[in-house]
Amino acid sequence: MVLYDSATSGGSNSGSSSSCSGTKQPVAEIDGLLAGAGYKVRSSELRQVAQRLERLETVMVNSPADISQLASDTVHYNPSDLASWVDSLLSEFNQPPLPLPSDLPDLPDIIAGPSVNHTAVGNYLTDNFTTTQQQQQQQQQMMIVTAMEEDSGIRLVHMLMTCAESVQRGEMAVAGSLIEDMKGLLTRVNPSCGIGKVAGCFIDALSFRIMGVGGSICGSVSENEILYHHFYEACPYLKFAHFTANQAILEAFDGHDCVHVVDFNLMHGLQWPALIQALALRPGGPPLLRLTGIGPPSPDGRDSLREIGLRLAELARSVNIRFTFRGVAASRLEDVKPWMLQVSPKEALAVNSILQLHKLLGSDPARNSPMEMVLGWIRNLNPKIMTVVEQESNHNQPEFLDRFTTALYYYSTMFDSLEACPLQPEKALAEIYLQREICNVVCCEGSARVERHEPLAKWRNRLAGAGFRPLHLGSNAFRQASMLLTLFSAEGYSVEETEGCLTLGWHSRPLIAASAWHAVPDVMMSHQNSN
Amino acid sequence: MAASEEVNLNDSKMVVPLHTWVLISNFKLAYNLLRRPDGTFNRHLAEFLDRKVPANANPVDGVFSFDVIVDRGTNLLCRIYRPTNGEEHRPNIAELEKPVSSEVVVPVIIFFHGGSFAHSSANSAIYDILCRRLVGTCKAVVVSVNYRRAPENRYPCAYDDGWTVLKWAKSRSWLQSKDSKAHIYLAGDSSGGNIVHHVALRAVESEVEILGNILLNPMFGGQERTESEKRLDGKYFVTVQDRDWYWRAYLPEGANRDHPACNPFGPKGIDLVGVKFPKSLVVVAGLDLIQDWQLAYMEGLKKAGQDVKLLYLEQATIGFYFLPNNGHFYTVMDEISNFVSSNC
Repeated sequence: MVLYDSATSGGSNSGSSSSCSGTKQPVAEIDGLLAGAGYKVRSSELRQVAQRLERLETVMVNSPADISQLASDTVHYNPSDLASWVDSLLSEFNQPPLPLPSDLPDLPDIIAGPSVNHTAVGNYLTDNFTTTQQQQQQQQQMMIVTAMEEDSGIRLVHMLMTCAESVQRGEMAVAGSLIEDMKGLLTRVNPSCGIGKVAGCFIDALSFRIMGVGGSICGSVSENEILYHHFYEACPYLKFAHFTANQAILEAFDGHDCVHVVDFNLMHGLQWPALIQALALRPGGPPLLRLTGIGPPSPDGRDSLREIGLRLAELARSVNIRFTFRGVAASRLEDVKPWMLQVSPKEALAVNSILQLHKLLGSDPARNSPMEMVLGWIRNLNPKIMTVVEQESNHNQPEFLDRFTTALYYYSTMFDSLEACPLQPEKALAEIYLQREICNVVCCEGSARVERHEPLAKWRNRLAGAGFRPLHLGSNAFRQASMLLTLFSAEGYSVEETEGCLTLGWHSRPLIAASAWHAVPDVMMSHQNSN
Repeated sequence: MAASEEVNLNDSKMVVPLHTWVLISNFKLAYNLLRRPDGTFNRHLAEFLDRKVPANANPVDGVFSFDVIVDRGTNLLCRIYRPTNGEEHRPNIAELEKPVSSEVVVPVIIFFHGGSFAHSSANSAIYDILCRRLVGTCKAVVVSVNYRRAPENRYPCAYDDGWTVLKWAKSRSWLQSKDSKAHIYLAGDSSGGNIVHHVALRAVESEVEILGNILLNPMFGGQERTESEKRLDGKYFVTVQDRDWYWRAYLPEGANRDHPACNPFGPKGIDLVGVKFPKSLVVVAGLDLIQDWQLAYMEGLKKAGQDVKLLYLEQATIGFYFLPNNGHFYTVMDEISNFVSSNC
């Protein structure tokens, strides 16, 4: 028997989509006047070249080094191509302090592949800024060791940070002209290496922020679902999240005949077929399974929650599980009230939050914290287990530049890992999915900025403070997650276990963290509080 | 231009067309890279960055050109530009030095390119194109001198080379018009304008006739800091500091800017009263920071009773004559054309 329900609350979540990537320029004509003087400049680019010249002058004037020495050391490409020549000088003068050669992998590795780009970027970003003398010394050493493309990538990173700093300081004109420079430099960076694509996203995001159009980046509900689905297919992060959570939920439901899963973000219900099948196969027989899926209301009159519920019900019927689905339509998690979930005291409850909790961090601190409120009612429901999966990074720092830098590092690792994906259009759409996240982190502020990722350590504190205790995910989960990876994913992913939580990362940089919790009994809570 | 003293950095963008701004700014920034604080010059990079064009004996828009070695000892080259007189076929080698005319008088303009004595060459694209325009406008033959440059070759090398070419031109029978005389004018911009004056001085001393001097934004200076230098320093592509660098690079070691090469009517200048100095056309750009020196030059000629015409272009900056995209360009071309034809 199938029951479904839709409780609607909150406003609709519609918006026009906008593409973050630039359109390809048509081949434009070369300016005749400057051609006579020996320079090839496209008529359409004249203003940009002028802007870059201005920028170059500023940079040259402010350069601490002897510019004639730097000029001697630069490789000047075709001086007729004025735009490129100006760009090469701009990047020469913007050259960041580079790590000493001993910090770098051996030379052959630099040329090897996208994974090494990440390492070099990572080293750069974690180094402190050095003095001018060291800078010059390092520059000279780096000139010998680094391949040209690697250089451009690192320069791009430095310019991005300089631009972000200008934005933080409110120097929008400087930031704007840096954007132009970076767009130029971008054309010389290999777009199939991680830094090229991710740099493009960040450049666009900064550009939107400067123009004040951050808010228009959100897509429609169905678009977001599609992008999510492709992100799911293109790389193992979501699969890992689902798998790990399902394993923990399965274990928590052991011995219970009535079980209820509340999913904070149903999407296409990708997580649940595996759980349904696992429950069907469990020794002692399957329980009665209720699934409550929360998701945004569909603007076009379709009831997508119900449709997914129906599909899952079909599957459950085919494996002989008694299954009930309820959809709760809400545009924000904080709009969900516990009564909408109709949790019965007799059932074992699992609350499943995949990349959702961080969205509660954004609201006005003067009002009652939505996080407190939501964690409060979750705890009051006394779930057997709450599975929490979050991005393992701090994109919620108060200072814009810090957020920006951390995000740059995080998403370049993400993009690096995506390079290994052979599936199209999954890979391309996964990149757009990430682009949107980046845009939100970089362009938006206040309640519009929902992607307020925080690392596991912070979640541990927060959840402990809200009355939850961690449930160790167990070595079973770890072994199986590792196996899943070797079966389905490229080399380079790594699963790590840390204090009972599992993280999945790329080249030992954790990118997503899964943990499980249950509510501390009241007796113990008051006991703790009185200490 | 407003009387206000405050001229901000963006003003240069407002008074010149975008193309000119891009071109001159590019030169400015590139040149900044070439001058070393110790007075040496990155010649290698300069030659690499300079956009050059070869001579072309095939007529293009009615003008063809070819290079000539004038002095093997100093590798002195010049590029000759000639009008085709209607025939568009490629002249053969014998025709390159065909006599300029048997019917009319054809002015011969010996041209000295600019570059503050250090930059550019006769085969620089911007000067090649300028010389071609001169040929077209003035119906003249242009001889562009590839003089030796500073700091490798200081005063008086550039003047020596100019003098050598002048003598050479005077002795070419094919440059003579129907009256068996070569009708020679001297022209130059920036440092080239300075060279014009000093070559003319030598010509006068040796009684070699020159019909006229054309000085486009000529490069003069002096020890004193003039009002225009202070007011316009850094505002329109040029700084006092870079002017000083070029003088230090060209003038003899130990000399200051009152050396007569730099300051011909200054404390060490030569008195030109009673001297049969050629008539002069002096073009001054109103936004050129050394205009006070250029005006002082003009005054110096006037006071010595010499024939001088001043063309003062208020809103012009240096290099306005490189691109034909502004009124000043056409004004100047017309003036030069009149200047060289009025003797015919």
